[in-house]
Amino acid sequence: MNKEINQEMIEVSIPHRAEYVSLIRLTVASIANRMGFDIEDIEDIKVALSEACSNAIMHGGCNVNDNFLVQFLLEKAKLTISVSDFGKGYDETAIKEPKIDELNEGGLGIFIIKSLMDDVHIDTGSNQGTSIRMIKNLREES
Amino acid sequence: MALTIQKSYNESEGKWILVLEGEVDLHTADKLKETVNQMLSEKLDDIRILGDRLDYIDSTGLSVFISALKKLQKEEKNIILANIKPSIKKLLNITGLDRIVIVE
Repeated sequence: MNKEINQEMIEVSIPHRAEYVSLIRLTVASIANRMGFDIEDIEDIKVALSEACSNAIMHGGCNVNDNFLVQFLLEKAKLTISVSDFGKGYDETAIKEPKIDELNEGGLGIFIIKSLMDDVHIDTGSNQGTSIRMIKNLREES
Repeated sequence: MALTIQKSYNESEGKWILVLEGEVDLHTADKLKETVNQMLSEKLDDIRILGDRLDYIDSTGLSVFISALKKLQKEEKNIILANIKPSIKKLLNITGLDRIVIVE
């Protein structure tokens, strides 16, 4: 990122197909690396974004020929990523905390995103699509 | 990047050996699920996963492990994850899966 510019936006529109999730990981790894994130943070961001994309593909309720949108907002001290689909949306309160001890695999994705990113906001509702916005702050020493 | 899976059964140890190379995500998790289901229906025994060359896994892959654990625990068997990368260890830790599987 050019040091004189306060913020830059990159947008990628992706088909609702599983094979494109790895392409998004490569994209975000490149963006985060350029911004100066360290390897551990880059891995966190890759996993969190993959989870959000998997969510959009699996639960978005969209046609495979439709696309969903990933926006990267690059700022001096943070990276904000928004994943938006235009599908059916869902009841956010229906997402339960995962209970690993009971071997319950549901709800893991959102839980992982919230654990790995510094700030996460989910905007969803019936028939209005879903948007997951997540922020990773650049650490001072990195 | 794709996922390469090699499976073999070690008779002397009484364990499945599963070598994973590449990335487990939404696209490749089905292939892993099919392989693991096939293994467990053949022989319900411990699975030792060698993760030296496993670069990436997320909840789609962890879900495969969790559903395998449901079957394995009935026979007091488990999943052993060996030589996995720090980023994957971190994921096991935050999900609590490291308290259930054996991490070597």
